[in-house]
Amino acid sequence: MSRRRRMLEDLDRDICEHIAIETQENIERGMSPDEARTSALRKFGNVTRVKEETREVWSFSWFERFWVDVSFGIRALWKHPGFAIVAILTLALGIGANTAIFSVVEGVVLAALPYPHPDRLVMVLESRPSVKQISISYPDFQDWQHGSRSFEHMAALTDRSYDLTGPGTSDHLAGMEVSSGFFATLGVNLTLGHEFAPSEDRPNGGQTVVISDRLWKDRFASNPAVLGKAVTLDGTDFTIIGVLPPKFRLWTEVDVYTSLGQGEPLLYRDRTAHSVVCIGRLKPGVSIGEAQEELETVQSNLDRLYPTADRNLGINIEPLKQSIVGDVGGTLLLLLGAVGIVLLIACTNVASLSLARSASRTREFAIRSALGASRARMVRQLMTESVLLALIGGLLGSIVANLEVRLLLAKFPEIVPRSQNVHLNIPVLLFAFGISLVVGVLFGLAPASDGSSVDVQGSLKAGERGFTRAHPRAQSILVIVQMALTVMLLVGFGLLLRTILQLWNVNPGFDRQHVITFKVGLSPSLTTTASSTRTAYRQLLGRIREIPGVQAADFTNVVPLSDHDNGGPFWVGAQQSTAMQDAPHALYFETGPEYLQAMQIPLLRGRFFTRADDSDSEPVVVIDSVLAQAYFPHKDPVGELITVAHWRTARVIGVVGHVRHWGLGDAGTYNPSQIYISFYQISDEWVPAFARDLSVAIRTPLDVSTIMPAIKDAVYGTGKDQPIYNVETMQQIASDSMSSQRLPMILLGAFAGLALLLASVGVYGVLSYSVSQRIQEIGIRMALGAERRDVLRMIIGQGLRLAVAGVILGAGGALLLTRLLSSFSRLLYGVRANDPVTFTAVSFVLVCVSILACYLPARRASRVNPMVALKYE
Amino acid sequence: MGPRHGHAIAKMIEFNSEDVLQVEQGSLYPALHRLIKRGWISAEEGTSENNRRAKFYKLTTKGRRQLAVETSKWDKLAGAIARILRPVEEEGK
Repeated sequence: MSRRRRMLEDLDRDICEHIAIETQENIERGMSPDEARTSALRKFGNVTRVKEETREVWSFSWFERFWVDVSFGIRALWKHPGFAIVAILTLALGIGANTAIFSVVEGVVLAALPYPHPDRLVMVLESRPSVKQISISYPDFQDWQHGSRSFEHMAALTDRSYDLTGPGTSDHLAGMEVSSGFFATLGVNLTLGHEFAPSEDRPNGGQTVVISDRLWKDRFASNPAVLGKAVTLDGTDFTIIGVLPPKFRLWTEVDVYTSLGQGEPLLYRDRTAHSVVCIGRLKPGVSIGEAQEELETVQSNLDRLYPTADRNLGINIEPLKQSIVGDVGGTLLLLLGAVGIVLLIACTNVASLSLARSASRTREFAIRSALGASRARMVRQLMTESVLLALIGGLLGSIVANLEVRLLLAKFPEIVPRSQNVHLNIPVLLFAFGISLVVGVLFGLAPASDGSSVDVQGSLKAGERGFTRAHPRAQSILVIVQMALTVMLLVGFGLLLRTILQLWNVNPGFDRQHVITFKVGLSPSLTTTASSTRTAYRQLLGRIREIPGVQAADFTNVVPLSDHDNGGPFWVGAQQSTAMQDAPHALYFETGPEYLQAMQIPLLRGRFFTRADDSDSEPVVVIDSVLAQAYFPHKDPVGELITVAHWRTARVIGVVGHVRHWGLGDAGTYNPSQIYISFYQISDEWVPAFARDLSVAIRTPLDVSTIMPAIKDAVYGTGKDQPIYNVETMQQIASDSMSSQRLPMILLGAFAGLALLLASVGVYGVLSYSVSQRIQEIGIRMALGAERRDVLRMIIGQGLRLAVAGVILGAGGALLLTRLLSSFSRLLYGVRANDPVTFTAVSFVLVCVSILACYLPARRASRVNPMVALKYE
Repeated sequence: MGPRHGHAIAKMIEFNSEDVLQVEQGSLYPALHRLIKRGWISAEEGTSENNRRAKFYKLTTKGRRQLAVETSKWDKLAGAIARILRPVEEEGK
């Protein structure tokens, strides 16, 4: 560019100089000055043309020609701002929605994990014949670490939250217990300090902690001298040995990392306690299959060494990213498909609009063609215009997308994993640019292929109005396609809506209304021994029960529908009658006497716990109806004995109703049996481990904001170092348990609404155009005696035919699509993919909306004054 | 041939062709610029006989090579045409 400018800058000067020298020579030859100059100019030729030609030598000709097209396109669009605005807005909606969803897909599913060589990172779990993935035991992990050669690093980890009481105000923090080498496995370099050395990753290795960047900022003002200082977690001082870089996270945000080797010995010494998970970094060149084979060999050696532990465990290795993203990928791809349909509808809308517009531009093209414009030239012009529209729409859409994504993730931050990774980044912008281009070409094709093949004579003769009868067939087909696509989206939305309604009406086995749950971190000074812990909890509950408005309150370590897993083996009778891995499993609830009342779970036989059931009395359990039916089919279970693994043999004192813990739509295949144990009877050594999981459930007719101040007073009454957290109503928890259906439903609903709007605009546009074309015909009809009603019926009938054709086509497509929908596990509940109610409702809605969209043009047609219409030509 | 400015080049064409090639002098400039763009000649600033600044054009090495190629091509073509057409007619093109 600069060379070009330099070369052309001096051209004027050189030409002047050229002519001056020539003039000079002419004068020397004896001409008069005037004559000399005229002659010199004549000899030089047309100065302007010389300049132009020279400039052309240097021009980027394609670019400049393109620019001419663009500026002409802008002028052409400017002359019809209505068309341009509608088209741009339509495209902005379509492209924006696509960009938004794609940015989520990109950030969550496509983008690599933010660690070096992320493809070598894997999640290693165990499996049973019946369950694909289960947690592993810490001793197994240690044996894998020693026995395998496939991994560069391996690390075990588990979630573990802490109550922070210093420095600063007390707070509940998300934490993780990790083994030595955890950060090295991921390849994360700490901002300060180092991670746990093997010597620190064992019992009595010294209490050390690695903290997050956030904690470092909030509690230590990012002081570089923080290493060696202490944070107080659960009443113990931990020395800070490392600070993590900002934004580091594996799953969710975690503030404190402690060493696993110093964790609860009861859990981590037990080869049957599946309490940790394992990540690994494969050595370069080692495949997942090879690693799996090797670990399976190691595992089968362990079976021989430890015959009493869980045996016949398989190994399950999957890429770490897959493990983090989970099955969200499928839902996101489904949404991407849905939003793609919206874009198609937007596209057909704009195509139909530009068809109408190109019909009215026929004369323009005829004139240009008569003046010598080639067909290719005009196609390029039309394409430039449509691509221009699409790019403006795309730009606007990307801005919309940015807002949409922020809105979406602000509302559902935890609904997709890695949501912090979703940005409008280069790949997303490229995507937006790419689909804008494709869309521009796509909807430009229709009018371009049509508008350029102009019958010059016919068009120029066609009279003043400047249009010939346009493309009723092409436009009708577009409308039918739109309708069909809309039906597909509406059916998808309808099925999910029905699913949610069905789920909401499911009886979960308890009354989810008027229940609030929350957690309390009891002051470390109150929980030094097992018996003081029990007393502290009893007193806390006592204070809460005194609050006016609290009808019942008690603990549970497992809040129904919260996804918390506390499964374990049991045996009917007084003996461990089989090996551990052959024993049936149940979900264990550690609760207190008022729990049934708080949750309104029905008592079917016998009794529930009382205050008398404590560590001094006979161990007792309460079972649910599913367990009773399966293991005591023909007798009364009350009075029978059950042996609980890791605990003891206890007498069954009652049977209660089954609670749907694994989701409102749970089919009851995974661990359906439930056993209740009194928290006050748990063995001393297990008390600290279980106390951490306890939630308080209270039944109150008051709402959260009204009752919580009183509850805070009651809790803080015994010490300010007792944080209250995870405050939720049972309604919220139940609603969150439907999140895998709720997000797609909301988005599909939004997309279907958008599609409906666009499609009705499409019908409206086509009909009003058709009415304006048929105005003479209508005039003649009315002059010949047609009633307004007849005209109204005729126009609405025309629109309705399109709608019905679209509905039939769409219903067929939807049948195929919903088969896909139902193949996503647990997405649909209580409705079949070909649910007749949904299909009927959708068809009805679509036909109603089309009648509405037809009504305005039809009314205009019926108001036609025959005299005016006939004079119109 | 040393560097020449535009007018001098035009004069030289006229003079060397014994005024047979009488084209509009202006058309020289697009041609010169085309040659610059291909890198066959280069331009530098100089002073004209009127003592004013002007561009002086000069063959580059690449241009000299190209000239040799074109000249031999032309010679071949001209020879061929000459052999076909007798008596020889001169045609300016």
